[in-house]
Amino acid sequence: MISRRKFLVLVTASAATLATGKALSIGDNGNEHYTVDLSKYKWGMIIDVDKCTKCVLDIMKKEGIDDIEKVRPPCIVECDKANNVPHSDKYYYSLIRLYMVKETEDANPLVFPVMCQECEHPACVEVCLTQASYKREDGIIVIDLHRCIGCRYCMIACPYNARRFLWEDPKELLKVVNPEAPVRKHGVVMKCEFCVWKIDRERAEGKEPKPVCVEACPHNALIFGNLKDPNSEVSKILRTSKVLTLRAYLGTNPKVKYKLWGD
Amino acid sequence: MGAEVPKIDFKKIEGSSPGYYAICAIWLIICLIGVYAYYLQWIYGEQLTGLNNQVPWGFGIAAVCYLIGASAGSLIVSALSGVFEKEEFKIFSRSAAFFAAAMIVAAMGAIFTDIGNPANSINFLIHFNPTSIFSWNAFLYSSYFVVCVVYLLAQFEEKKFLTRCIAVFAVGWAILVHSGTGGIIGFIYSNDFYHSSLTVPLFIVSAIASGLGLLIPTYILTFKWTKREYDLDLLWTLTKIMGAMVILLIYCFIVEGFEKGYMPASHEAFLRMITSPETPEVYVYWIGQIGLMFLALAIMLSPFRKREWAIITAGLLVAVAVFCERYTLVVPGLSYPYDIFPGYEVVKPFHIVPYYPSWTEWAIVLALFAGAYLAYCIGIKIFALLPEKAVKIEKGEVKK
Repeated sequence: MISRRKFLVLVTASAATLATGKALSIGDNGNEHYTVDLSKYKWGMIIDVDKCTKCVLDIMKKEGIDDIEKVRPPCIVECDKANNVPHSDKYYYSLIRLYMVKETEDANPLVFPVMCQECEHPACVEVCLTQASYKREDGIIVIDLHRCIGCRYCMIACPYNARRFLWEDPKELLKVVNPEAPVRKHGVVMKCEFCVWKIDRERAEGKEPKPVCVEACPHNALIFGNLKDPNSEVSKILRTSKVLTLRAYLGTNPKVKYKLWGD
Repeated sequence: MGAEVPKIDFKKIEGSSPGYYAICAIWLIICLIGVYAYYLQWIYGEQLTGLNNQVPWGFGIAAVCYLIGASAGSLIVSALSGVFEKEEFKIFSRSAAFFAAAMIVAAMGAIFTDIGNPANSINFLIHFNPTSIFSWNAFLYSSYFVVCVVYLLAQFEEKKFLTRCIAVFAVGWAILVHSGTGGIIGFIYSNDFYHSSLTVPLFIVSAIASGLGLLIPTYILTFKWTKREYDLDLLWTLTKIMGAMVILLIYCFIVEGFEKGYMPASHEAFLRMITSPETPEVYVYWIGQIGLMFLALAIMLSPFRKREWAIITAGLLVAVAVFCERYTLVVPGLSYPYDIFPGYEVVKPFHIVPYYPSWTEWAIVLALFAGAYLAYCIGIKIFALLPEKAVKIEKGEVKK
């Protein structure tokens, strides 16, 4: 028969082992295999708000849709398909969300597609308990699905509401699966990762990489490129145009910018 | 170490009456319902909760904050004799420390049952993120449990000096643990409702209030039902401490409310949260949080304040009010959408999303509370946690 003292000592020792094990694991970071050759890049995106607005308003007019949330332009449709994003009546899962904003009630509307802003100082990475969300050397913030415990703290911290939690089993909601992109299970968080699976492949093939939404856009409203390359289109636009950064005052320094004022 | 120490006889309860088994059975049934609810959640995912992508935290996280607070509050009560040399409170020291340990286990259970991918939960231990305050807290919670057990062990061994040293350390650790929990919410700069340096000290005050709110009725009922002689004056003293904490809490709410309401960027959101019945939060705030706290204060100031029923009722009201406070701390900041486009008058979609906890969330949270109380009921039977007499030790009774 175990004595009271032994019982308490055993309980304490077990808990201490857990606590110490945690402390000993500080600094363990298994992401090195992602960092090879990535430092030459810093991926960024510029979104032409005028073009997006025109595209979305045309779709709304053509299809007789009043609600901005029901509009599904090609960028969203193709992004969802390629990234195995499920469709549900109950939850909004698409990685891009459209917002219609106006300066005043009677002003002309502007449409902003908002996805993960790939911040330079990402709040989600800062708060993630398990380093499941991390920033690669090329600036893309990705989620390691094998590490994500589904605590949703990153969603709380994200200033752009750009993360989605899989409340349902996506396999039951997906009609077609893209084997190249991650296939997730319920209980983890997902977000736009600039189609990192495609970017990496195309970079390895020597092509100029582009996320699916950029390719799908019929109006060339989404410009993607390497911010470290002064000759890239994104760098040129940043040098010559006025762009808007969402919630710039927070200091997260997003790499997705919005071009509002034409050329 | 030659000072005179009041010697208190701690004894196990007999625990053989039908009443004792009935109470344990009730806690067990609530636990089993919670286990079943969690089983369903495990199978079907968190779609069974009332949460969504705009309100991803709700009842479960409010329970985490509450249970950790109640645990910290209990440990502070336990340490009243060791740290503050209030020897008359030594009668509570063992049971309050046990209660603190049970509550922190329940809090960790609340985290475990709230996460979407518990199969990966070992990553808590393997992949520590030094920039995440929640990651630090996972370490603090597990170590805090160790501190509670070591403290209890030192008390069982009647090592006075060691007990005092551990008590001082334990109180410091409890404050650290709870400050960390406050930081989880308060340091979120992206959300105007969350971001506040007042949250951390507010968490400590709430912790003491809720810990006392749960302990006071628990003690009175335990002493009554185990037919122990007890001194209501001692519990009244604890009630007065609880009352002081409630007044401090109300003061902090007023300061925080004015601050949120004063800033043009957040005053509309704040006013809408506290006045508009679009979401249940307005009722939780006015009835659950503010109303119950004032009602508890009214009882504590009434002519009946020193009666047993009044002390029990005040304790329960404060315990529930602090839970509501945790709820209003977590949920409204999410129900009201973030202002992603400051400066634009019209933003669509703009949804104020009402959040209603589902039955599974209720069942799981209630099961965690029931589990802590079941542990307490079993604990007082197998360990000598309760004093034979819960009364002040007179000078003549002091032994070396």
